[in-house]
Amino acid sequence: MNLVLAWLYPDSMSIYGDRGNVIALTRRAEWRGIALEVWRLPKGARLDQLPDLVMFGGGQDREQRLIERDFLELKGETLVRAVEEDVPVLAVCGGFQQLGHGYRDADGSSIQGLGILDASTVAPSDKARRCIGNIVVEAHLPDGDATSGGVLVGFENHGGRTRLGKCEPLGRVLKGFGNNGEDGQEGARYRYCFGTYMHGSLLPKNPWFTDYLLLQALRRKYGPEITLEPLDDALELRAQSAAIARAR
Amino acid sequence: MQALPLRHTVAVAVGRAAGLASRRLRLGGGTTIPGAVARRIDARVTRHLAARLAGGCVLVSGTNGKTTTSRLLAAMLRGAGYRVVHNRAGANLMAGVTTALLSQHGDSGLFEVDEAVLPAAIRELKPRLVLCLNLFRDQLDRYGELNTLASRWQQALATLPASATAVLNADDPLVASIGASLACRTVFFGLETVDHRQTDMQHAADSLYCPRCSGQLDFEAVYLGHLGHYCCPICGWRRPDPSFALTGIRLDPAGPTQLRLRAESHELAIEANLPGLYNAYNVLAAAAAALTLGAAGEQVSAAVGGFTAAFGRTETMRLDGRQLRLMLAKNPVGCNEVIRTLLLDPDPLNLYLVLNDRVADGEDVSWIWDVDFELLAGRCRTVILGGTRAEDLAVRLKYAGFPTSELPLEGNQEAAIRALLARTPDGGRAYAVPTYTAMLDLRRTLTDMGAAGQFWED
Ligand SMILES: [Zn+2]
Repeated sequence: MNLVLAWLYPDSMSIYGDRGNVIALTRRAEWRGIALEVWRLPKGARLDQLPDLVMFGGGQDREQRLIERDFLELKGETLVRAVEEDVPVLAVCGGFQQLGHGYRDADGSSIQGLGILDASTVAPSDKARRCIGNIVVEAHLPDGDATSGGVLVGFENHGGRTRLGKCEPLGRVLKGFGNNGEDGQEGARYRYCFGTYMHGSLLPKNPWFTDYLLLQALRRKYGPEITLEPLDDALELRAQSAAIARAR
Repeated sequence: MQALPLRHTVAVAVGRAAGLASRRLRLGGGTTIPGAVARRIDARVTRHLAARLAGGCVLVSGTNGKTTTSRLLAAMLRGAGYRVVHNRAGANLMAGVTTALLSQHGDSGLFEVDEAVLPAAIRELKPRLVLCLNLFRDQLDRYGELNTLASRWQQALATLPASATAVLNADDPLVASIGASLACRTVFFGLETVDHRQTDMQHAADSLYCPRCSGQLDFEAVYLGHLGHYCCPICGWRRPDPSFALTGIRLDPAGPTQLRLRAESHELAIEANLPGLYNAYNVLAAAAAALTLGAAGEQVSAAVGGFTAAFGRTETMRLDGRQLRLMLAKNPVGCNEVIRTLLLDPDPLNLYLVLNDRVADGEDVSWIWDVDFELLAGRCRTVILGGTRAEDLAVRLKYAGFPTSELPLEGNQEAAIRALLARTPDGGRAYAVPTYTAMLDLRRTLTDMGAAGQFWED
């Protein structure tokens, strides 16, 4: 079996160790004898074929602005189709905002998003605190047949406050800020497309979620009877508990 | 001389007394408390103290290399006859600068300042020269975003008069672009060697966009992180030509680094007892500032030759018949450079990696995923992991291809060092690679263990 992962803006939208998510998906596929090919799609590259998985990381305001048009014009259309066809997508921080309706700055300028996720982000004034720290979330996923867990731990660092419209959150905040620090929601989900503020990197420390994404990609491609061989996750789970213990 | 307000006199007296008391009582904090106390009594105390220095002030800032560079520059300036007041213990916030001014005598100030503090330092100290090293991603949870920081630097430097000088790194697009709109004199330094250039950018690299038109910069050569030779294919903006350049760099894992420096019209050979390409940049930056301030070429090379590394950055000591080298790694670019230096060692490596997530380290450890640990897989005999986030490091190394059975976690530093040395052959070399606060702990541990040959003294 083999999978293709489309990695959007690996150079410019990869600010807080987002590469770790790609490494985790690659390794955990490889350890089960599944080849995972990575399409690196920087600014200027067009996404026209459907991949089996999509990863979209975060960037600084400036980078987000620089890819705004490129994302909508060269990647947007295929991405919408991929989500409608249940391709798993993980978008972190800036990527999350741009899969939503976009981002409106304190000075009135805005970045237009793709609107796959019904999520709108507003930047508060310059003086408002950024949401920074270790974060623990109880995830709610479709199908409910995730191999284990339900708890995700990461690190968040965002100025923008996101509010959801009609879509579900990725989960409920147990510790930390989440989308806006007020409504207890973290991230967003539509079909198998997930937006989140959790980096850390997210996937290496939450192996059950990595496997959830891999399994969905494989089942979509090879049929619902596919299962994943379990791996020894002792180190990962130790790192997960250590990070949970650090969250305040 | 204009009479100073009474408030100033009181602030100085009380600040000095606080320093004396904390030293007598061995309370620690002697490098910041006197300044903090004095500033609380008189907010203008630092300005008044700085104004008394006839030779003016020099500031050094940047993400990586400020302690080593400012120490090199201090040695060069002393060699050139300056009597330098210097915050050499690395206390680089305003309280640390003020403490140095309160407790030392001299005719010139040389201060290493934190990136976020540079604008305040420029406002209060009215420097005659500012040396800007680089801007890398480091602890964004404290500093906000890189471009914001660069524009704050730009605004602060723009207040300097024509008599002042900004010495800027030509190889860092963010730093170099600041030079375009300044009233003061600008001088650039950079690398012009064929050695050690890479054509691919490391993943950890930042700021790849043109500061003028936001086009994606083309890099013809990359030396370290995002430092290199670049130009913008859209508006044509390009790296300024440096008047101080390294034209030759020979790195030797066992001996000193050999550098050839082109300074305006003449050439200078420099031997530096400091490993790694990042230290070549530090020597170049310090030399550019010293030569601009009137030091002679021989004074510069003599100062570098006699230099021992600032604490923890590259110290070497002996313990139990083994050599132990300390190499600070606090962000992805710095850590990749440490890895590059480790790979110069031809023997299997014996490593102790320590990752802390205290406030001074940056609480976000996600940066380890931007470090190319993959390069070390298969090159190590021993790896021992420690620090408040040792577990994250273990996962990172597992995914970099290290066998999981060979990643022991050891929470106790002394036990970790003992285990490291026990697995290092007699007469062999071992390395400790800590983050900032882990390095401070390690220093205490090694002192207690009686490590010999340490170079730290403050
Ligand atoms: Zn341009």
